[in-house]
Amino acid sequence: MDRFGEIVSVVLGALAVAYLAYEIDRRKRKLRDLFHVLGSEEADISAELADMVESGELQPYTRRARA
Amino acid sequence: MPKAPQRPGPSRRETTEVALPSSAAFQEAGVSDTPIQAVPVPISGNEEPPAASRFRIFIVDSGWNSAARRVLLENFALIRDLQREDPIYVLSRERSIEFMRRHGSRIGRDPIIAVHDMQALGKRGTAGFHGFRLSLGLLRTPQQALMGLQAFARFLVTHRQSADLEADIRANLRREGLMGAIEIAMHHEAREIVA
Repeated sequence: MDRFGEIVSVVLGALAVAYLAYEIDRRKRKLRDLFHVLGSEEADISAELADMVESGELQPYTRRARA
Repeated sequence: MPKAPQRPGPSRRETTEVALPSSAAFQEAGVSDTPIQAVPVPISGNEEPPAASRFRIFIVDSGWNSAARRVLLENFALIRDLQREDPIYVLSRERSIEFMRRHGSRIGRDPIIAVHDMQALGKRGTAGFHGFRLSLGLLRTPQQALMGLQAFARFLVTHRQSADLEADIRANLRREGLMGAIEIAMHHEAREIVA
């Protein structure tokens, strides 16, 4: 019976550790998805936005006094 | 709402006079077909960001009826006041939709706020680190979206003079990850922003 209890404890402990690792990894991925560092993978998109500015297609947002 | 008295100088705050990028109908209904619009009016007077701004901020919003979008619209004037040193470029709905069609994997993540670090861009171009983006649309509740927006504004303001923005961002992400791990271990509720 003691042996069985030990096995259950070990299994539950392993499950808890696995869950913890899974949850931490999930949050890390979610955080990186949410707050993403722009690197070479986004070069095209960034260049596209920069081109819009350079060409004058995009103008900085500015306030307008309410009529 | 009565007009706030005009105060000269670059530190004035005129949130009562700011024309929000949404119509009055939007304000009342909370939702509109007309998203944030680019305003093709040159910056003038003391609104003008310095010629060499550290950041360029882009907002892409195709117009999903989402909590994140509402939070962004409601706080846009404040964000603009906080980031007055940097130009904010707001893509129109049409341009945002075109953008999303070209980059389909981004659909549903908007409003997206992309920040280009002009210092990094000047050194390495777009080949290496050159900024970051906040996919606000991934945050499903108003509270999460507001916290995300506040964290974004705080980060920009506090790291404007950063010599190595990339290192700062990665350090922040590591810290957030560590805090999340500690909270899980302590059986606390998940950090709202990443839950």
